[in-house]
Amino acid sequence: MARMKFYCDAERCIECNACVTACKNEHDIPWGVNRRRVVTIKDGEQGERSLSVACMHCSDAPCAAVCPVDIFYTTSDGIVLHDKDLCIGCGYCFYACPFGAPQFPEEAAFSSRGKMDKCTFCAGGPEDDNSSEEYKKYGRNRIAEGKLPLCAEMCSTHALLAGDADVLSDIYRKRVINRGASAFDWGVNFDKAKL
Amino acid sequence: MSFRLHRPTPFFLRLVTILLLAVAILLPPTSGASNIPPKSPDYPQGVSSINPGSDLWREVRQRDGLIVDGISQVKGVETGVLINVRGDQWARFRINEVTKTVSYALVGVFGILVLVFVLRGKVGIKGGRSGRVVRRFTDYERIVHWTLTIVFLFLAITGLILLLGRPLLLPLFGKEVFALFASASKEGHNLFGPLFLVSLLMMLFSFTRHNIYEKGDLGWLLKLGGLIGDGHPSVGFFNMGEKFWYWIVILIGLVVSISGLILVSPNFGQGRVIMEISHLVHVIGALVLMLGSLGHMYMGTIGIEGALQGMTSGYVDTNWADAHHDRWSRECQQKGLTLSADEFARLRGETPAADAEVAAQERAK
Amino acid sequence: MIEYLIDGPLWHLSLAVFGIGVVWKLGSIVFASRRQDLSVARAAAGPAAFKTVFSRFIPHKEISSQIVIPLVAGYMFHLGLFALLFFAVPHVSFLEQNLLGFGWTPMPHWAFIVSAQLAFLGLIILWLRRMTNPVSRLISTLDDHVVAILTFVVMLTGCFALLEGATALRLLHRFTVELWLIYFPFSALMHTFTFIPSRAFTGAWFGRRGIDA
Repeated sequence: MARMKFYCDAERCIECNACVTACKNEHDIPWGVNRRRVVTIKDGEQGERSLSVACMHCSDAPCAAVCPVDIFYTTSDGIVLHDKDLCIGCGYCFYACPFGAPQFPEEAAFSSRGKMDKCTFCAGGPEDDNSSEEYKKYGRNRIAEGKLPLCAEMCSTHALLAGDADVLSDIYRKRVINRGASAFDWGVNFDKAKL
Repeated sequence: MSFRLHRPTPFFLRLVTILLLAVAILLPPTSGASNIPPKSPDYPQGVSSINPGSDLWREVRQRDGLIVDGISQVKGVETGVLINVRGDQWARFRINEVTKTVSYALVGVFGILVLVFVLRGKVGIKGGRSGRVVRRFTDYERIVHWTLTIVFLFLAITGLILLLGRPLLLPLFGKEVFALFASASKEGHNLFGPLFLVSLLMMLFSFTRHNIYEKGDLGWLLKLGGLIGDGHPSVGFFNMGEKFWYWIVILIGLVVSISGLILVSPNFGQGRVIMEISHLVHVIGALVLMLGSLGHMYMGTIGIEGALQGMTSGYVDTNWADAHHDRWSRECQQKGLTLSADEFARLRGETPAADAEVAAQERAK
Repeated sequence: MIEYLIDGPLWHLSLAVFGIGVVWKLGSIVFASRRQDLSVARAAAGPAAFKTVFSRFIPHKEISSQIVIPLVAGYMFHLGLFALLFFAVPHVSFLEQNLLGFGWTPMPHWAFIVSAQLAFLGLIILWLRRMTNPVSRLISTLDDHVVAILTFVVMLTGCFALLEGATALRLLHRFTVELWLIYFPFSALMHTFTFIPSRAFTGAWFGRRGIDA
């Protein structure tokens, strides 16, 4: 079975935010909720890198471990999904996630945070595949249609890759070799690179 | 996910572990791991890393615990942070150490109290009840105490459902039904939290005058209330143990309230680390309060005969007062604040013994 | 099935019992025969009756120090509950959709939280005062306690359903509300309406004799 993962190639990411926009549009995500975000480190300095971050679909997900109501489940493809009907909006998954993937629609004091929303790897949720309830709650289910997540499909530089981990690591390995990268220079070596 | 509980470690070891781990989580590590090679005779000034990539990703990985703040077009709480290492640590700590320590501590203290009751039994009133009663708590003091009790018990139960529900209740009820309990508990817990703070303040302003240190309290403490040495040491309105408990309730209660208020108001933009620390402080404080409450509830009900009556009716038997709070009892006797058994019965709406006799005689005629 | 019953027939039944019950009970008080008042009329009874309905919202200064707790807690509870019932977002929507057909601006979230706190704390303190004060305790009937606890349960189930996600929690709240409505006309809860004729009668009785009661 496939083990689905995201991989963002920091050398290629140009911070265009197409992945963010595609995700938000495709799943009709409300104001204030952002399943995917692009983070730029060392902005303006030498060595500036950008990364597109959403749920990393961890094999041993901290969110799943900490949830008081146990709403998370992992599909046979390794995609971590959750059941919004059971969610109590406590926010613990947001504290536990190293990447800050869980998002909540409400932010008032004493209020419930609302139902947690996060990247689903475009695989919907526990409702029936491609039903209208699934779309209302979780967004499009592209995996059930045999497609890959839209953020990776839309990435303008193919920095963001999504798919089976073996396939992804193979692609990236070839890129690294083509760049002429070495243990002493992880970046693009313009002398050695076969571009 | 299965929760296998291994062989229980002794309670104090668990308590020390949880305290040490809490300190370890709360204080950021000070060591800075650096991959710069040590100075060698060929390069006396040291060799700096020639791979800028490794520096960058070392910073991102944050093994040093410092959070690297990047920039993101998505605005929100900590959206510029790529990795928060504390999150997973907190999650594992909560699931493993905290749940186990809370469960074992509660069961352990409950067991100790059962043992104490079996061995010591109910402490009776020396000389039996006299029938005369003396006023101990005013109406307002009793209202404040029972308000705090109701609010605290509700918060404790809902809080325990949130902490221990997944390992203990979810297997029993199934996910859908348990999610109802959990949602209800979370909403109830959040809403009743400030009520606890208000009740605590009400208690602070009404009971403090009885809980100031008096001469003789240290002597009581050194004799452990009479466990060491012979007889009951002299006591005023409250003994040192009660005063200790009072200040633990107030101070730790305030800590629990404030950490709870931080947790329940994310709109101030506090980061995840503050929330995680508040959560741990909240749980540990709540555990101390729950354990103390178990002891307090034991002493007030089945542990000491004649104690509960004080907090329900407001009056205590004079022999009970002489036995447990002799200095205060003497003051009340001097001021003439006692009631006879008949007067007390009339106050409670029960027919006093004398009146009952008269009524029986009237009926017999 | 249960959802249909609670949202449908039981709701209509509770409204009917409440509506007919309140009108019947109020009518039986207002239209009860009274013996003729043979005293000399020194002043008008009508205006005095009207005035007393409102003047009794503030206690007489002779007793006000004795009833501080029920006064403060009473206002906390009643004002909080009134705000919750008629200005909380889910209630305004409910009234608009299920009963009236029109709505109004609900209160902001922080006001809702404050009202809820006041209502809960007020009710707890009021009920505990009923249990601890010797006089209140003696004259309280089972009905008085049931009313306090039932109202508390209604508020609590409402609090539980705050996430507005789980249907079962909303149904539980709705069900307790229906029980409360059915119990209303036969209980001390009727003070919601009877305080008006009660105060008016006292005001009229004494006002006719020229006394400001």
